[in-house]
Amino acid sequence: MRPIVQVRNLCKSYRLGQGQQGGRQGTGRDAVIWALRDVSFEVLPGEVLGIVGRNGAGKSTLLKILSRIVRPTAGEVDIYGRLGSLLEIGMGFHPDLTGRENVYLNGAIIGMSRGEIRRKFDEIVAFSELEKFLDTPVKYYSSGMHLRLAFAVAAHFEPEILILDEVLAVGDAAFQQKCFRKMQDVIQEGRTIFFVSHDSAAVQRLCGRALLIEAGRLKDDGPAETVVKHYLDGAAAAAARD
Amino acid sequence: MREVWAHRELLYFLIWRDLKVRYKQTALGPAWVVLQPLLMALVFTVFMGWLARVPSDGVPYPLFAYAGLVPWTFFSSAVSVAGNGLIAHGPMVTKVYFPRMLIHLALVGVRLTDLLVSFVVLFVLMLCYGVGVRPSILLLPVLVLQATLLAVGIALWFSARIARRRDYATLLPVLLQAWMFASPVIYPARLVPERWRLLYSLNPLAGVIEGFRSALFGLPFDWAGMVTSGAVTLLLLAYSVGSFLRADENLVDII
Repeated sequence: MRPIVQVRNLCKSYRLGQGQQGGRQGTGRDAVIWALRDVSFEVLPGEVLGIVGRNGAGKSTLLKILSRIVRPTAGEVDIYGRLGSLLEIGMGFHPDLTGRENVYLNGAIIGMSRGEIRRKFDEIVAFSELEKFLDTPVKYYSSGMHLRLAFAVAAHFEPEILILDEVLAVGDAAFQQKCFRKMQDVIQEGRTIFFVSHDSAAVQRLCGRALLIEAGRLKDDGPAETVVKHYLDGAAAAAARD
Repeated sequence: MREVWAHRELLYFLIWRDLKVRYKQTALGPAWVVLQPLLMALVFTVFMGWLARVPSDGVPYPLFAYAGLVPWTFFSSAVSVAGNGLIAHGPMVTKVYFPRMLIHLALVGVRLTDLLVSFVVLFVLMLCYGVGVRPSILLLPVLVLQATLLAVGIALWFSARIARRRDYATLLPVLLQAWMFASPVIYPARLVPERWRLLYSLNPLAGVIEGFRSALFGLPFDWAGMVTSGAVTLLLLAYSVGSFLRADENLVDII
């Protein structure tokens, strides 16, 4: 099978102090941080790829490059399909707009067409369980309601390749269960998914394969079970050292 | 450009959102679109028209000033809002991909709808002063387009600079203030001495605003000045778009 995503020798460096107040550019004395170094992998259509690693390891940078938000310093990314990413749910929600209006706005921002949102509108509302509050401005929503509406839109976003960053942990236990089941449905549909989470159990249950990123480098790539174990062992060892 | 077109629905939603939330928690609501240039016209009428006795090409000064303030208010508010657009939309820009230029287009688009409203008031004012509408007003859409392109260009240039250095955000209102006095908003361009006229017409807004009044009040057109200003507008736009796209590569890293 032909890969749907190819990443070759991806590097991303950030210059510390760049753009900060008073920091002058071009002095050559700014420290350079490598957020990603020489990362290469391929993903086949329908694969569900978990990405694990400690904070600051470069997971988010990788997702941002895949989403085209950030440009790599070196290396290439080839994507063969419509890609959508949810690095944050409820992006662009406006407090003064009603739930209904925000569904349309948020949908458009993450990349759904108006027709697509209209078609799925009832499903989204049913999923959020907020039928009664649709015409209330979201500033009067509780934070739980806010998250439910946001996740409901996100869950009905159906690009061929989906990038998810820590979006499962929303709402109360019952709603989390519902989100988890929804995720399993989405996976069953054969979509290609990138899934970043600190919830190791969720990664093991949802993903077939996982990548371990450490200090910007790809440390491990294989079945989710073993990679997550590798990650947890490493984390335990690091904790023991401290 | 093709990408901007592909995202036109998002552009529509962004404009729609801004129009929708704009006047929440104001008592007068959308009336402000009209009131702002009207009040400005009143202030300038008192100080420039009555006290300083600035000539107004045979048009009653309040009408003269309002006709200049309508395009100027559009331009300056579009530039100041869209120029700061990138940092104002920072959270969105760093979390989701779409052509960044969409933000500027949306913000200028919102001001464009304001402009349409202030046109209605302009025509009412003309009616009150007994100034008839002439076929030359058919030129107005071209002038509006020119002002729009100019606003988009300047906003793009500034927003890329502001993303890198906030100093430009402080500089912008000062520049706009100076630009207003360097444009025939509250005085006619013929007050500018002949030998400075060429330099003056390099200010693209001079052509737009003079053209506006000529089209509205049937005054003679300064075709050379308008062509110059059109050419300068296109050059500035091309330069700004190019410079924005170049800067865009790394904007997200520094915003």
